[in-house]
Amino acid sequence: MSPRVDFGLGLRPDHYEEIAANPGKVSWFEVLSENYMVPGGNPLQWLDTFRRDYQMAMHGVSLSIGSIDPLDLRYLDELKVLVNRIEPMWVSDHLCFTGLRGVNMHDLLPLPYTEEALDHVTERVMRVQDHLGRRLVLENVSSYVTYAASELTEWDFIAALAQRADCELLLDVNNVYVSAFNHEFDARAFLRAMPAARVRQFHLAGHLHKGTHIIDTHDHPIIPDVWELYAEAVRLFPSVPTMIERDANIPPYAELLAELDMAREIAARVAQERAPEAAE
Amino acid sequence: MSLGAPTTNAGSLADLQRAFQDYLLSSNNRFAASVRDTRKADRVTLLDVYRDGYALRLIEVLTNDYPGVMAMAGPADFDYMARAYIAAHPSHHPSVRWFGKDLADFLARTPPFNGSPAVAEMARFEWALGDAFDSADASPIVAQTLIDLPAEAWETLAFTRLPSLRVLSFDFDVPRAWQQRDEQEAGNLEVARADAPTPWVIWRPQLTSNFRSLATDEATMLAVLMEERPFPELCECLIPSAGEEQAPARAAGLLRGWVEEGMIGSFRH
Ligand SMILES: [Fe+2]
Repeated sequence: MSPRVDFGLGLRPDHYEEIAANPGKVSWFEVLSENYMVPGGNPLQWLDTFRRDYQMAMHGVSLSIGSIDPLDLRYLDELKVLVNRIEPMWVSDHLCFTGLRGVNMHDLLPLPYTEEALDHVTERVMRVQDHLGRRLVLENVSSYVTYAASELTEWDFIAALAQRADCELLLDVNNVYVSAFNHEFDARAFLRAMPAARVRQFHLAGHLHKGTHIIDTHDHPIIPDVWELYAEAVRLFPSVPTMIERDANIPPYAELLAELDMAREIAARVAQERAPEAAE
Repeated sequence: MSLGAPTTNAGSLADLQRAFQDYLLSSNNRFAASVRDTRKADRVTLLDVYRDGYALRLIEVLTNDYPGVMAMAGPADFDYMARAYIAAHPSHHPSVRWFGKDLADFLARTPPFNGSPAVAEMARFEWALGDAFDSADASPIVAQTLIDLPAEAWETLAFTRLPSLRVLSFDFDVPRAWQQRDEQEAGNLEVARADAPTPWVIWRPQLTSNFRSLATDEATMLAVLMEERPFPELCECLIPSAGEEQAPARAAGLLRGWVEEGMIGSFRH
């Protein structure tokens, strides 16, 4: 029987050798889909090697689910090829748009939270799910600007989308924290609005605080406030697989494993809080 | 239903997305009217997170893909060059892996960068190395399979190169300079002009890429091999340099070397 999928990390080339030398430290890896959309060589070799020993989730950055451009069917086909190779637990991307007119900005640009956008994204999520033959998992992004046109809160938008499109959610706890600070909303209200049955995965990450706003940089350790918010997330959504995203200023594998232990401790503590309730 | 609806009204999803992208790609600031200040930060500061982030992210991609160009140009000139490239070549691919693919051509034809042709050559070399790194996998043939062939097979024997193999010609000694890219402070890497334009071969027999220069007749024969011409034509192309008598032996010797170095993907006869 394969081990329970609980705490994982993002698979990063900087760690390939260390992971190979220290097997079994995590139960799963999240892999960045686009990094493995290459003809061959070293990246796919490592991917196949690790896939033999670990469960994997695929995480993309270029689906551009909210864009007004037509869906990029070539991209979806490439994604499907990779899905067949990896046989991931699930496939995720971000609730955003990454460009239009055929240009990829390589950034996760926020959508206006309007009924029009909700209709548009819902229809596209359903088409992508049909194309892939599986449910899509969508992540809340960090954002820096609020559209004057927005009619809904981000959390109402996400909850409605998940319901209407019948998709699942990747809850990035750091992104909730960052956006709550930037747009002055209550991070806990955001969490409470998420449909519990659809929360498939958590992300944790560090960020850069600029005083007037926070930038989602993934280049620092997770801060105490985000750990606290994570505890709240675990209370609301128990047993959801958790991973840490580190994309820049990447420390040794062991350091990220130590940070992941913090997530394990928090989840264990929350489980203990719950134990008396269960006994009653 | 939003899909077929007209999208010209300001505040529509389409209009907002266009304005956002225009804000990032050009100096069109119209989008600022569509977003709010917060109590802590004004909207221009917040929009700058996206505008700055867009450029910095792609500059980082180019920095990773082109360490040799960075070693030649130094951070300030590299930054200037990268921003010019980003403006001229927005990404059209889902992966940043391909973003830098036109850099060498851009540098070779765009002033003021075309005044330093060695930099464009370095870019071309580094892109070819990157292409070899994650090119399609194939196992090179081994010498014994050729030795075992009956003599008459050589009349029609033709080869394919490994998918990763490519040949480039450089006026400057960029591959040697590239090997020293970490040895000086960025900006100080000097690249000498070669005595004559020199063909170089880049290929990846297993997981590690190789490169080396080619002798003139070797490059000639490799070009013919890559057109999948039969072995007698490989010999023929060496007659001008080796003479009619020596050409077959030279061809066999070169071929053996390539097979042993793992450059040849397959053969048929
Ligand atoms: Fe995330």
